[in-house]
Amino acid sequence: MAFFARAIRHSSPYLRSRAPPPPAVAASCRWISPTAAAGSPEAGAAVAPADPETPPPREPVGGARVELPSNPEDALEVFVDGHAVRIPKGFTVLQACEVAGVDIPRFCYHSRLSIAGNCRMCLVEVEKSPKPVASCAMPALPGMKIKTNTPVAKKAREGVMEFLLMNHPLDCPICDQGGECDLQDQSMAFGADRGRFTEMKRSVVDKNLGPLVKTVMTRCIQCTRCVRFASEVAGVQDLGMLGRGSGEEIGTYVEKLMTSELSGNVIDICPVGALTSKPFAFKARNWELKGTETIDVTDAVGSNIRVDSRGPEVMRIVPRLNEDINEEWISDKTRFCYDGLKRQRLNDPMIRGTDGRFKAVTWRDALAVVAEVLQQVKPEEITGVAGKLSDAESMMALKDFVNKMGSDKVLCEGNGPSPPADLRSNYLMNTSIAGLEKADVFLLVGTQPRVEAAMVNARIRKTVRATQAKVAYIGPPTDFNYDHEHLGTGPQTLVEIAEGRHPFCSTLQSAKNPVIIAGAGLFDREDQDALFSTIETVAKKFNVVRPDWNGLNVLLLHAAQAAALDLGLVANPTESIKSTKFLYLMGADDVDLDKVPDDAFVVYQGHHGDKAVYRANVILPSSAFSEKEGTYENTEGCTQWTIPAVPTVGDARDDWKILRALSEVAGAQLPYDSLSGVRDRISMVAPNLVHVDEREPCTISSEVKPPVKQQVSSTPFKTVVENFYMTDAITRASKIMAQCSATLLKK
Amino acid sequence: MAAVVRGVLNGIREKGLSNFLRHARDEGYFKCLLDGNLLQTKIHNIGATLVGVDKFGNKYYEKLHDTQYGRHRWVEYAEKGRYNASQVPPEWHGWLHHITDSTGDEATVNSPPGRLPRLNAIEPFSLVPGSKLQACLAVSHSMKLLEQNAKAYIVDHKENFSGEGEELIYHSKGHALNPGQRDWTRYQPWEPKKEEAT
Repeated sequence: MAFFARAIRHSSPYLRSRAPPPPAVAASCRWISPTAAAGSPEAGAAVAPADPETPPPREPVGGARVELPSNPEDALEVFVDGHAVRIPKGFTVLQACEVAGVDIPRFCYHSRLSIAGNCRMCLVEVEKSPKPVASCAMPALPGMKIKTNTPVAKKAREGVMEFLLMNHPLDCPICDQGGECDLQDQSMAFGADRGRFTEMKRSVVDKNLGPLVKTVMTRCIQCTRCVRFASEVAGVQDLGMLGRGSGEEIGTYVEKLMTSELSGNVIDICPVGALTSKPFAFKARNWELKGTETIDVTDAVGSNIRVDSRGPEVMRIVPRLNEDINEEWISDKTRFCYDGLKRQRLNDPMIRGTDGRFKAVTWRDALAVVAEVLQQVKPEEITGVAGKLSDAESMMALKDFVNKMGSDKVLCEGNGPSPPADLRSNYLMNTSIAGLEKADVFLLVGTQPRVEAAMVNARIRKTVRATQAKVAYIGPPTDFNYDHEHLGTGPQTLVEIAEGRHPFCSTLQSAKNPVIIAGAGLFDREDQDALFSTIETVAKKFNVVRPDWNGLNVLLLHAAQAAALDLGLVANPTESIKSTKFLYLMGADDVDLDKVPDDAFVVYQGHHGDKAVYRANVILPSSAFSEKEGTYENTEGCTQWTIPAVPTVGDARDDWKILRALSEVAGAQLPYDSLSGVRDRISMVAPNLVHVDEREPCTISSEVKPPVKQQVSSTPFKTVVENFYMTDAITRASKIMAQCSATLLKK
Repeated sequence: MAAVVRGVLNGIREKGLSNFLRHARDEGYFKCLLDGNLLQTKIHNIGATLVGVDKFGNKYYEKLHDTQYGRHRWVEYAEKGRYNASQVPPEWHGWLHHITDSTGDEATVNSPPGRLPRLNAIEPFSLVPGSKLQACLAVSHSMKLLEQNAKAYIVDHKENFSGEGEELIYHSKGHALNPGQRDWTRYQPWEPKKEEAT
């Protein structure tokens, strides 16, 4: 050490002139020792780069990549703890520290919300600044010397922490946030080892925010993240701050529930245990849980989630970061549908006896019965219907099986009478979900994104907020959480726009990146071909599809839809079901069962005793999405896998395995008997389905479509999703979702 | 194993078969077959030192070698059926929980106060007041006094009788005696019978 000091002193006359030798060496250490008094901060910063003992600069926090602007004018250099970092202009001091690999403690700052700067936890020392500065709210300036680890900064944090803990109850042992609490962690890392507060702590009345979010307002530290989330991301003005000083509290102004489809996210962003999950309350501790990174199937977005399970039970679902799909939010349906996975489960194969009652049987017997019936029906009377939660593997097996039996009547529910499967661009969100942020005009045709795909709606709202993009909507009156223009209720308005007669045309004409989103509810209309050709006319007229921009989108409704269309499950449902003698329902609960002939033999393969089991003759239990490995394609064409988090219930099996076993008993054995075998087969039919976590854009444009002669009918568009909280077998079985629809839906 | 058989045969020879069987029953050897905890204690007892027996008949064992440290002291309760930790009297509690090394017998002996060296008796050897040695001596002195004071309880020890009756005693979930939670199925299956109702 002394040697280095001498070397530095001799080599650098500048140093010798400014800093006395012993403090210079001590202060050049990156770690703060008692001798490195705050007396000579300038010397410390000046020496640090030259000192060979200084540890190398750290990587950015969380391995984040920082994209510097191409123009060097727009980047600037700051020094964090003596290390130079280059950051884009407009970064805050806190962001600069993150780039330098220094994690600043914070409560109120959240990268996806506006900056409040009211918790004061992120105080750092900035050279030549008289006081510590709140780094989250301070823009970084060129050449700024930021010090995060000096006694001043440490003391400031300790003081802030002491004030925060002053009114925070000491109920960590009974708090649901315990173990994943920011306040807990940061008071261990940055707080003092004792408090000096001996007076009474304040207490705040708990608020009722509805059946999803539990509040213990005494624990609140007034970071206002929830308020900002509600008003900025969720787009509801439900939460706010009341009072001043120690009387300050978060509330809903008047007694009111939080009616947002994203309300569950306030649980995640709350840094303390003030807002916790009501269904999860006191069910488990977070360190007991096993996290499985999988995806959600309750809508077509394919939100990335982590399923937290304990033993055989799914305990909760939390979001996972995916900038392209759901950012870090998920909808309430995704988050709280998990109790549906534990109710109404089919766990044994069952056969309906002659008395009309179901009897549990072995797999051998059940498959034998189905195979026997299969031998007796004519090949063309066999119909297979895939449900809205089916994965690509099982749909592939279903299609192969039905085809092998000699029928081509295999379809997926929700895709309408003539599914538009010829061109991938006709059923995908071609702009991609993240791409919507570049749009400046939205035209929503027959879709209510808020209930059909809450995460897509959040993305549209983000765009509207950020760039004042205009939103126009054609369809039945519905709720939007951003400004929009309701153009009309029926296809007539669309035709007017296509013909250039509508006043909205001028907006579309001037738009740089216009986006048209058509709902998948249009698939069910008789005039869907004409409708889509009208939409394409609009697209062509207003330059929506260009080589550099594809703004023509279809927003799908169900997780299985895109993969089903890729795999070619495209039979006409009404015709095939009307004439069927053998109906194979693979989790399909929303087909019109009244049309099924009375003498038809119905096999229901699925995981929940939902609607269709009551018509079934044989029930084959299968596994839910949390229990199997399956491929799903979301509405933008991104292929993702589910990963099994918990074991299957009872005697249930994976869908494709049941079909494979049945095919063998029926004498038409499918040529694969492993998951990789099925995926090999899928890669022959739709190679994009084996490229996981990749979004395969469509290559052929809709130009090649033959002209449509059909006429657009004047029937107004219908609401597709009546109840946001209950759309499929899992959510219909969920008690929490039932509570939500009872209390939160506007009647 | 041979030692065990020899012990059994010796016992039969000494006491006669009926007396031996009665002895075996009193010692809880038959209960061992159903109660794994008791059986394990009995197996542990082989080769261990019997340190003492308290007034209730609980036997305190110690085995210093060949045992995991921290598990080298244990008790075999006199009550073979419904034993619980509250049956250990306070004078043995300290020994059993490694709080002190003096056994319950030593604690109960009303040792004369002169047996302990007075602090001032060793003063010639001690250093300046407030030194570390003096502090140590003071601590050990007061510890010894504490142990002697175990006798100071006026009321005799009684086991905890609260929750008399199996249903009131706390048994963790999953315990054979816990009346709740027999069914560990974590999902609720669909009942086909309900369809008639709907």
